[in-house]
Amino acid sequence: MRPAQVHDRRRRGAMPRWASVALMLLAALALAALMLYRMLAGSAPPEGIPEATRNGLVFQVGHVFALGQLSDFLWYALAALTVGSAAGVAFSRNIIYSAFSLLGTFLGVAAMYVYLAAPFLAITQVLIYIGGVLVLILFAVMLTSHIRDVKISNASLGVGPGVVGLAACAVLLGYVGASTPWEALGKPQMMDQAQALGDGFLSTYLLPFEIASVVLLATLIGAVVIARRDDPATGKEG
Amino acid sequence: MNDAIAQNLSSLSAFGPETVLSVGVLALFLLDLAWRGDARRPARLTWAFAIVLAGAAAALAATPSSPRGLFNHMLVQDGLGTFFKWLFLATAAYTAGIVVHSREISSERLGEFYALLCAILLGMDLMAVSGDLLMVYLSLELVSMVSYALAGFRKGDVRSAEASLKYVIYGGVASGIMLFGISYLYGLFGTTDLALLGPKIKAFSSQVFLTQTLGGTAAAQLALVVAVIFVLAGVGFKMASVPWHMWCPDVYEGAPTPFTAFLSVGPKAAGFAVAIRFFEVGFTEVGRGGLVNTATVPWPAILGILAAITMTLGNLTALGQTNLKRLLAYSSIAHAGYLLMGLAAASVLGFQSVLVYLVVYLFMNLGAFLVVTLMAAQTGGENISAYRGLIKRAPLTAIAFTIFLFSLTGLPPLAGFTGKYLLFAALLEKGGTWYVALAIVGAVNSAISLYYYVRIVKAMVLDRPTSDSPVVVPRTYGFLMLGSVAALFFFGLFWSPLYQASLKATETLFRG
Amino acid sequence: MLAVGLPHFLVVGALLFAFGAYCVTTRKNAVGILMGVELILNAANVNFVAFGHYAWGGIHGQAFALFVIVLAAAEAAVGLAIILTLYHHFKSIDVTRAERLRD
Repeated sequence: MRPAQVHDRRRRGAMPRWASVALMLLAALALAALMLYRMLAGSAPPEGIPEATRNGLVFQVGHVFALGQLSDFLWYALAALTVGSAAGVAFSRNIIYSAFSLLGTFLGVAAMYVYLAAPFLAITQVLIYIGGVLVLILFAVMLTSHIRDVKISNASLGVGPGVVGLAACAVLLGYVGASTPWEALGKPQMMDQAQALGDGFLSTYLLPFEIASVVLLATLIGAVVIARRDDPATGKEG
Repeated sequence: MNDAIAQNLSSLSAFGPETVLSVGVLALFLLDLAWRGDARRPARLTWAFAIVLAGAAAALAATPSSPRGLFNHMLVQDGLGTFFKWLFLATAAYTAGIVVHSREISSERLGEFYALLCAILLGMDLMAVSGDLLMVYLSLELVSMVSYALAGFRKGDVRSAEASLKYVIYGGVASGIMLFGISYLYGLFGTTDLALLGPKIKAFSSQVFLTQTLGGTAAAQLALVVAVIFVLAGVGFKMASVPWHMWCPDVYEGAPTPFTAFLSVGPKAAGFAVAIRFFEVGFTEVGRGGLVNTATVPWPAILGILAAITMTLGNLTALGQTNLKRLLAYSSIAHAGYLLMGLAAASVLGFQSVLVYLVVYLFMNLGAFLVVTLMAAQTGGENISAYRGLIKRAPLTAIAFTIFLFSLTGLPPLAGFTGKYLLFAALLEKGGTWYVALAIVGAVNSAISLYYYVRIVKAMVLDRPTSDSPVVVPRTYGFLMLGSVAALFFFGLFWSPLYQASLKATETLFRG
Repeated sequence: MLAVGLPHFLVVGALLFAFGAYCVTTRKNAVGILMGVELILNAANVNFVAFGHYAWGGIHGQAFALFVIVLAAAEAAVGLAIILTLYHHFKSIDVTRAERLRD
């Protein structure tokens, strides 16, 4: 492929830089507006507290904590991190930036698990996704680094139809998620998750657990079979 | 919890074939290492694989097929599962017969191939008996992961590497989408156990029907539709039905031919097994005088449209193909369409016809791929031009290939006709304009397919041979061809044993 | 509305899925497509755990998500092994250049 062609393809195929910046700015603005709204709309502090104390900064901050609002702020911030990084993965022109954005998504999802009272899953997410999958992906990116995101052919969509599809998908699924009257909605359930999971894996989920290990074994063999290179001189594997 | 453990233990006795296969994966891999450097290793490994298959068959024969749940309803034991397990074993055995004389799998790597084939067989067995969407996902991934590796098995061949890349990309996307659908099903109904999902979906549908005007329930119904369509993506990927068929031609062409043969029958059948369970459980029930679709969304109609598009697209694209493997890939897409007609009928006869057609399809499609493998090994050509004048170079092979192709078309008195006849009968039994229209589309498609199959036959019979050297047919291939041709004639003329077997397999469905 | 509940998590899941789908449909780089797949899997996992926490209780949602994480890692390993093999052939992992298999 000639260099000029590469350049041309890159320009046609990727989102312009200003658009990515604008997207990130938009996300940050939305986040700030949300936090501001929550600050201002916070309910009145309880009665019987001296005026001076009530106006103090320490009380104001503590009040936010006490009402559980901070946890909500934090959630919005983390959600913005998760979704914003996902946008970065999707829109970034450079594959390395995409890979690093993926780090933000994985971390954000781990934080979501913490919010959902699933600490074990959060730790697993960090260990396996960030420690394993992401490192693998970075390896692949680095090993093949001088190939950038060159694209455009008939096999996949361009950016325009892609964005339309993205919007349609997000609206449809967002509507479904937000407006369905999910049964028993709003009854968070707390339990000793790690122990329950451990028990479950040795009783109810024993078969899936074992099959997962078979899948891992087969994958291991498969990956070795694929990655091993034959020695072209002798035709034997080396 | 102790109940769960006790049930796991008691389920082990019904887990014989799978246990044998799991042990087989490890044993074959270790034997491959142990016999390294031994000149007789390929033959020994083939025997070892045959022993594993025989062991699995024996265990399967010893396993009862009375309906019950296993491993806390992760698996179900019933006639349908047993039927499919036999089908998969036969496919694997046939594939092993093809591999023996294939040049595409070097003898150095035969052990790995057999070990991975065992793993994929295990995955397909589990797909056929999965009673929980968790197991559906896991077993589907087991089949997929191993398929990715086997598709890229031809070392040093760029096409093979490309094939496995395309496969892993499409496969990853399909299973991810399916998973997202499963997550909504779990959200709506609080379970992924298919046996529990069924009644809940029925209750849900009627409730939605009553209160459809409320905004919220419209969203809920949409959630169900999205969930089912997404789950269909994963299953449709395995069946190679439109619009999840894109991987099929490239992977079929790039993968080693014996594995292509396996891929065109085994995982496709496994996909249909999952689809039968999924739709039987959730979306149909016994009503007055037959099966009535309960969900408010007309799933049979959607499946019917999918079937029509799949077979039309497959057949029309096949017309222009010159590479035999690609041609057979599009033909197998078209056959996924024919099989979907049986699902669209959503009746016992419809599901039965799917089972019968899959058995027939095994013989004719594996037979066709056997000839393609033979020709690739002997002449190095996969194009139609390599088949010119084959009748002079290897008359019996040419005749056998003609029979396979005519059976794929569905000409009587071959078994392909039996299968198509049952599919059409299932549609016409339902009556209705839509069903008749679908049957007509199916018939027109069979006529189209005749054109490209006959083109090959014409090249073999009428054209001049490109070389005079005779094609040597190994004895194993001769037996397999003879057996397949005999089976096609037998099931074409006396199809009642097959019909009875499928009746037995489906009698446990739709019990309430 | 603003207090965090189940719909919030579902919307996050939906957005992750949408971005993943965008990635998968528009990217040509094989590693990029695999990243999109990871986004989709994470979206499904957020849904599972959120449904388990808010609606149904028990550990089923979490157990499902754990299996998904395990298989996602396995899939990434296979996918990247294949990508590296192809890279040795082409010195490129642009899927459009893997075009020897074309009509």
